[in-house]
Amino acid sequence: MEYKLRKAEPRDVSDILRLVKELAKYEEMEHQVKLTEKDLLEDGFGDTPFYHCIIAEIQGENSSDDPKVLGFAMYYFTYDPWIGKQLYLEDFYVMDQYRGLGIGSKILHHLSDLAMKTRCTGIMFVVAENNAPAVQFYKRHGAEDLSQEEGWRVFRFDKNSLVRMAGGAEE
Amino acid sequence: MDFSIRAANMEDCKDIARMIMLQVHNKPCCDYLSDMENILVNTSHFSRFHIFDCLLSGHTKIGYALYFYSYSWLGRGIYMEDLYVMPEFRGKGIGKALMSKLGLAAGCSNLKFTVLDWNKPSVDFYVSQGCSDITANFGFHCMRCEGEALEHLAQP
Repeated sequence: MEYKLRKAEPRDVSDILRLVKELAKYEEMEHQVKLTEKDLLEDGFGDTPFYHCIIAEIQGENSSDDPKVLGFAMYYFTYDPWIGKQLYLEDFYVMDQYRGLGIGSKILHHLSDLAMKTRCTGIMFVVAENNAPAVQFYKRHGAEDLSQEEGWRVFRFDKNSLVRMAGGAEE
Repeated sequence: MDFSIRAANMEDCKDIARMIMLQVHNKPCCDYLSDMENILVNTSHFSRFHIFDCLLSGHTKIGYALYFYSYSWLGRGIYMEDLYVMPEFRGKGIGKALMSKLGLAAGCSNLKFTVLDWNKPSVDFYVSQGCSDITANFGFHCMRCEGEALEHLAQP
Protein backbone atom coordinates (compact mmCIF):
# COMPACT_ATOMS: atom_id res chain seq x y z
CA MET A 1 0.00 0.00 0.00
CA GLU A 2 1.40 3.37 -1.05
CA TYR A 3 1.35 5.99 1.65
CA LYS A 4 3.38 9.11 2.30
CA LEU A 5 4.43 11.16 5.30
CA ARG A 6 4.37 14.96 5.13
CA LYS A 7 4.27 18.03 7.34
CA ALA A 8 0.74 18.95 8.33
CA GLU A 9 -0.75 22.04 6.69
CA PRO A 10 -3.62 24.31 7.80
CA ARG A 11 -6.05 22.34 5.61
CA ASP A 12 -5.34 19.23 7.72
CA VAL A 13 -6.79 20.50 11.02
CA SER A 14 -10.11 18.68 10.66
CA ASP A 15 -8.28 15.37 10.06
CA ILE A 16 -5.91 16.08 12.95
CA LEU A 17 -8.87 16.69 15.27
CA ARG A 18 -10.60 13.54 14.01
CA LEU A 19 -7.50 11.46 14.79
CA VAL A 20 -6.94 13.19 18.16
CA LYS A 21 -10.49 12.17 19.11
CA GLU A 22 -9.97 8.61 17.85
CA LEU A 23 -6.79 8.32 19.94
CA ALA A 24 -8.59 9.73 22.98
CA LYS A 25 -11.41 7.23 22.50
CA TYR A 26 -8.85 4.39 22.22
CA GLU A 27 -7.41 5.54 25.57
CA GLU A 28 -10.93 5.89 27.02
CA MET A 29 -10.46 9.61 27.58
CA GLU A 30 -12.54 11.12 24.80
CA HIS A 31 -14.37 13.41 27.25
CA GLN A 32 -11.03 15.14 27.98
CA VAL A 33 -10.57 16.49 24.45
CA LYS A 34 -11.11 20.24 24.57
CA LEU A 35 -9.46 21.13 21.27
CA THR A 36 -11.37 22.60 18.36
CA GLU A 37 -10.30 23.01 14.72
CA LYS A 38 -9.93 26.73 15.39
CA ASP A 39 -7.51 26.01 18.27
CA LEU A 40 -5.46 23.65 16.10
CA LEU A 41 -5.28 26.25 13.35
CA GLU A 42 -4.26 29.16 15.59
CA ASP A 43 -1.91 27.15 17.77
CA GLY A 44 -0.20 25.15 15.05
CA PHE A 45 0.00 27.51 12.12
CA GLY A 46 0.34 30.98 13.63
CA ASP A 47 3.50 33.03 14.18
CA THR A 48 4.62 30.92 17.14
CA PRO A 49 3.47 27.32 16.77
CA PHE A 50 2.75 25.45 20.00
CA TYR A 51 3.06 22.13 18.21
CA HIS A 52 4.30 20.48 15.03
CA CYS A 53 2.57 17.68 13.24
CA ILE A 54 3.34 15.12 10.58
CA ILE A 55 0.64 13.08 8.95
CA ALA A 56 0.48 9.84 7.01
CA GLU A 57 -1.91 9.69 4.07
CA ILE A 58 -2.84 7.33 1.27
CA GLN A 59 -4.18 8.13 -2.15
CA GLY A 60 -7.89 7.43 -2.64
CA GLU A 61 -9.00 4.34 -4.57
CA ASN A 62 -9.74 6.43 -7.64
CA SER A 63 -7.39 9.12 -8.92
CA SER A 64 -10.14 11.69 -8.46
CA ASP A 65 -10.59 10.87 -4.75
CA ASP A 66 -9.01 13.05 -2.06
CA PRO A 67 -6.09 11.45 -0.20
CA LYS A 68 -7.09 9.92 3.13
CA VAL A 69 -5.24 10.88 6.32
CA LEU A 70 -4.72 7.72 8.36
CA GLY A 71 -2.14 8.61 11.00
CA PHE A 72 -0.38 11.50 12.71
CA ALA A 73 2.27 12.49 15.21
CA MET A 74 2.07 15.73 17.20
CA TYR A 75 5.26 16.95 18.87
CA TYR A 76 7.15 19.97 20.22
CA PHE A 77 10.63 20.65 21.53
CA THR A 78 11.74 20.87 25.14
CA TYR A 79 15.09 21.48 26.77
CA ASP A 80 16.58 19.67 29.74
CA PRO A 81 19.65 21.53 31.09
CA TRP A 82 21.12 18.16 32.13
CA ILE A 83 20.86 16.38 28.78
CA GLY A 84 19.96 18.98 26.17
CA LYS A 85 17.20 19.48 23.64
CA GLN A 86 14.46 16.84 23.46
CA LEU A 87 11.73 16.12 20.96
CA TYR A 88 8.58 15.64 23.03
CA LEU A 89 6.14 13.34 21.25
CA GLU A 90 2.70 14.27 22.59
CA ASP A 91 0.37 12.23 20.36
CA PHE A 92 1.09 9.38 17.97
CA TYR A 93 -1.68 7.40 16.28
CA VAL A 94 -2.40 5.22 13.26
CA MET A 95 -6.01 4.26 12.46
CA ASP A 96 -6.86 0.73 13.52
CA GLN A 97 -7.39 -0.70 10.03
CA TYR A 98 -3.98 0.55 8.85
CA ARG A 99 -1.86 -0.90 11.65
CA GLY A 100 0.70 -3.65 11.21
CA LEU A 101 1.88 -2.19 7.87
CA GLY A 102 4.97 -0.42 9.17
CA ILE A 103 3.43 3.06 9.13
CA GLY A 104 4.02 3.67 12.85
CA SER A 105 7.64 2.57 12.54
CA LYS A 106 8.08 4.86 9.55
CA ILE A 107 6.68 7.80 11.51
CA LEU A 108 9.02 7.05 14.42
CA HIS A 109 11.96 6.76 12.02
CA HIS A 110 11.03 10.14 10.52
CA LEU A 111 10.85 11.72 13.99
CA SER A 112 14.15 10.24 15.12
CA ASP A 113 15.84 11.49 11.95
CA LEU A 114 14.36 14.93 12.62
CA ALA A 115 15.51 14.73 16.27
CA MET A 116 19.08 13.96 15.19
CA LYS A 117 19.10 16.75 12.59
CA THR A 118 17.82 19.30 15.11
CA ARG A 119 20.44 18.22 17.67
CA CYS A 120 18.02 16.61 20.10
CA THR A 121 19.56 14.03 22.42
CA GLY A 122 16.33 12.09 22.82
CA ILE A 123 12.65 11.65 22.07
CA MET A 124 10.43 11.78 25.18
CA PHE A 125 6.87 10.62 25.48
CA VAL A 126 4.29 9.36 27.94
CA VAL A 127 2.38 6.12 27.49
CA ALA A 128 -0.21 4.37 29.65
CA GLU A 129 1.27 1.19 31.12
CA ASN A 130 -1.90 -0.77 30.26
CA ASN A 131 -1.53 0.15 26.57
CA ALA A 132 0.43 -3.04 25.95
CA PRO A 133 0.69 -2.77 22.12
CA ALA A 134 2.12 0.77 22.43
CA VAL A 135 4.53 -0.15 25.23
CA GLN A 136 5.80 -3.15 23.24
CA PHE A 137 6.13 -1.04 20.07
CA TYR A 138 8.23 1.59 21.84
CA LYS A 139 10.41 -0.94 23.67
CA ARG A 140 10.98 -2.81 20.42
CA HIS A 141 12.31 0.46 19.02
CA GLY A 142 14.76 0.91 21.89
CA ALA A 143 12.81 3.16 24.28
CA GLU A 144 13.49 3.03 28.02
CA ASP A 145 10.71 3.20 30.59
CA LEU A 146 12.00 5.99 32.86
CA SER A 147 9.11 5.59 35.30
CA GLN A 148 10.00 1.95 35.86
CA GLU A 149 13.80 2.26 35.69
CA GLU A 150 14.40 5.59 37.42
CA GLY A 151 11.17 6.32 39.31
CA TRP A 152 9.93 9.32 37.32
CA ARG A 153 6.28 10.21 37.89
CA VAL A 154 4.20 12.57 35.74
CA PHE A 155 2.24 15.22 37.63
CA ARG A 156 -0.36 17.58 36.27
CA PHE A 157 -2.30 20.62 37.49
CA ASP A 158 -5.58 21.24 35.69
CA LYS A 159 -7.00 24.73 35.23
CA ASN A 160 -9.07 24.72 38.44
CA SER A 161 -6.10 23.65 40.57
CA LEU A 162 -3.90 26.32 38.95
CA VAL A 163 -6.43 29.04 39.72
CA ARG A 164 -6.78 27.80 43.32
CA MET A 165 -3.02 27.72 43.81
CA ALA A 166 -2.58 31.21 42.35
CA GLY A 167 -5.29 32.50 44.67
CA GLY A 168 -3.48 30.99 47.63
CA ALA A 169 -0.12 32.45 46.54
CA GLU A 170 -1.53 35.96 46.63
CA GLU A 171 -2.71 35.66 50.26
CA MET B 1 10.61 37.87 53.33
CA ASP B 2 10.81 40.34 50.47
CA PHE B 3 11.02 38.46 47.18
CA SER B 4 9.82 39.16 43.65
CA ILE B 5 9.41 37.08 40.52
CA ARG B 6 10.14 38.24 37.01
CA ALA B 7 10.93 36.86 33.59
CA ALA B 8 14.65 36.14 33.26
CA ASN B 9 16.78 37.89 30.67
CA MET B 10 20.11 36.97 29.05
CA GLU B 11 22.11 38.57 31.85
CA ASP B 12 20.48 36.17 34.31
CA CYS B 13 21.92 33.07 32.60
CA LYS B 14 25.01 33.24 34.83
CA ASP B 15 22.89 32.99 37.99
CA ILE B 16 20.58 30.34 36.50
CA ALA B 17 23.68 28.29 35.58
CA ARG B 18 24.95 28.73 39.15
CA MET B 19 21.67 27.36 40.54
CA ILE B 20 21.64 24.46 38.07
CA MET B 21 25.20 23.61 39.15
CA LEU B 22 24.07 23.64 42.81
CA GLN B 23 21.92 20.64 41.96
CA VAL B 24 24.78 18.66 40.39
CA HIS B 25 25.68 16.68 43.48
CA ASN B 26 22.26 14.98 43.32
CA LYS B 27 22.60 13.91 39.69
CA PRO B 28 25.18 12.29 37.41
CA CYS B 29 27.71 14.86 36.21
CA CYS B 30 27.79 15.76 32.55
CA ASP B 31 30.92 17.15 30.93
CA TYR B 32 29.17 20.18 29.56
CA LEU B 33 27.79 21.43 32.89
CA SER B 34 30.96 23.47 33.30
CA ASP B 35 29.79 25.49 30.32
CA MET B 36 26.18 25.72 31.43
CA GLU B 37 25.98 29.47 31.15
CA ASN B 38 27.03 29.45 27.49
CA ILE B 39 24.60 26.66 26.77
CA LEU B 40 21.69 28.59 28.28
CA VAL B 41 22.59 31.71 26.34
CA ASN B 42 23.13 29.91 23.06
CA THR B 43 20.21 27.50 23.16
CA SER B 44 17.52 29.84 24.46
CA HIS B 45 17.14 31.29 20.96
CA PHE B 46 16.08 28.11 19.23
CA SER B 47 14.86 26.05 22.15
CA ARG B 48 12.30 28.68 23.13
CA PHE B 49 12.41 27.81 26.77
CA HIS B 50 11.41 30.47 29.27
CA ILE B 51 12.60 31.16 32.77
CA PHE B 52 11.10 32.95 35.72
CA ASP B 53 13.64 34.17 38.29
CA CYS B 54 12.98 34.71 41.95
CA LEU B 55 14.90 37.63 43.39
CA LEU B 56 15.47 38.33 47.06
CA SER B 57 15.01 42.03 47.78
CA GLY B 58 15.40 42.77 44.09
CA HIS B 59 19.00 41.55 43.88
CA THR B 60 20.08 38.00 44.65
CA LYS B 61 18.65 35.20 42.52
CA ILE B 62 17.46 32.47 44.86
CA GLY B 63 15.18 30.36 42.69
CA TYR B 64 13.95 29.76 39.16
CA ALA B 65 11.44 27.89 37.05
CA LEU B 66 12.40 26.80 33.53
CA TYR B 67 9.47 25.92 31.27
CA PHE B 68 8.07 25.49 27.78
CA TYR B 69 4.75 25.80 26.13
CA SER B 70 3.27 22.38 25.47
CA TYR B 71 0.23 21.13 23.60
CA SER B 72 -2.26 18.32 24.05
CA TRP B 73 -5.96 17.39 23.94
CA LEU B 74 -6.42 19.98 26.67
CA GLY B 75 -5.03 22.70 24.41
CA ARG B 76 -2.16 25.01 25.33
CA GLY B 77 -0.22 24.02 28.39
CA ILE B 78 3.00 24.54 30.29
CA TYR B 79 5.69 21.89 30.70
CA MET B 80 7.77 22.78 33.73
CA GLU B 81 11.27 21.38 33.23
CA ASP B 82 12.96 22.72 36.37
CA LEU B 83 11.68 24.25 39.61
CA TYR B 84 14.38 25.11 42.10
CA VAL B 85 14.67 27.18 45.27
CA MET B 86 17.99 27.36 47.12
CA PRO B 87 17.75 25.19 50.27
CA GLU B 88 18.15 28.05 52.74
CA PHE B 89 15.11 29.84 51.24
CA ARG B 90 12.67 26.94 51.15
CA GLY B 91 9.44 26.75 53.13
CA LYS B 92 8.61 30.42 52.50
CA GLY B 93 6.16 30.12 49.61
CA ILE B 94 8.68 30.80 46.82
CA GLY B 95 8.16 27.49 44.97
CA LYS B 96 4.40 28.01 45.09
CA ALA B 97 4.78 31.61 43.88
CA LEU B 98 6.96 30.50 40.93
CA MET B 99 4.50 27.77 39.93
CA SER B 100 1.56 30.13 40.28
CA LYS B 101 3.26 32.52 37.87
CA LEU B 102 3.64 29.70 35.35
CA GLY B 103 0.09 28.55 35.92
CA LEU B 104 -1.32 31.92 34.96
CA ALA B 105 0.41 31.99 31.56
CA ALA B 106 -2.12 33.26 29.05
CA GLY B 107 -4.31 30.65 27.45
CA CYS B 108 -2.74 27.69 29.21
CA SER B 109 -5.08 25.13 30.68
CA ASN B 110 -2.65 22.80 32.44
CA LEU B 111 0.82 22.55 33.94
CA LYS B 112 2.72 19.27 33.61
CA PHE B 113 6.05 18.11 34.99
CA THR B 114 7.87 15.04 36.28
CA VAL B 115 9.25 14.30 39.72
CA LEU B 116 11.23 11.36 41.09
CA ASP B 117 9.23 9.06 43.32
CA TRP B 118 11.87 9.11 46.08
CA ASN B 119 11.73 12.91 46.30
CA LYS B 120 9.10 12.83 49.03
CA PRO B 121 9.28 16.52 50.05
CA SER B 122 8.59 17.55 46.44
CA VAL B 123 5.87 14.92 45.92
CA ASP B 124 4.13 15.99 49.14
CA PHE B 125 4.44 19.67 48.21
CA TYR B 126 2.89 19.22 44.76
CA VAL B 127 0.06 17.04 46.05
CA SER B 128 -0.69 19.61 48.76
CA GLN B 129 -1.10 22.24 46.02
CA GLY B 130 -3.82 20.22 44.28
CA CYS B 131 -1.66 18.46 41.70
CA SER B 132 -2.61 15.06 40.31
CA ASP B 133 -0.08 12.21 40.08
CA ILE B 134 -1.11 10.85 36.70
CA THR B 135 1.47 8.06 36.86
CA ALA B 136 -0.14 6.69 40.02
CA ASN B 137 -3.74 7.53 39.00
CA PHE B 138 -3.71 6.56 35.30
CA GLY B 139 -0.56 4.49 34.92
CA PHE B 140 1.17 6.98 32.64
CA HIS B 141 4.86 6.19 32.24
CA CYS B 142 7.60 8.49 30.91
CA MET B 143 9.62 6.89 28.19
CA ARG B 144 12.63 8.06 26.26
CA CYS B 145 14.53 6.96 23.19
CA GLU B 146 18.10 8.28 23.29
CA GLY B 147 21.75 7.63 22.50
CA GLU B 148 22.44 4.56 20.40
CA ALA B 149 18.76 3.62 20.29
CA LEU B 150 17.90 7.02 18.76
CA GLU B 151 20.78 6.80 16.27
CA HIS B 152 19.72 3.31 15.28
CA LEU B 153 16.12 4.42 14.81
CA ALA B 154 17.22 7.32 12.61
CA GLN B 155 19.20 5.14 10.22
CA PRO B 156 17.61 4.58 6.83
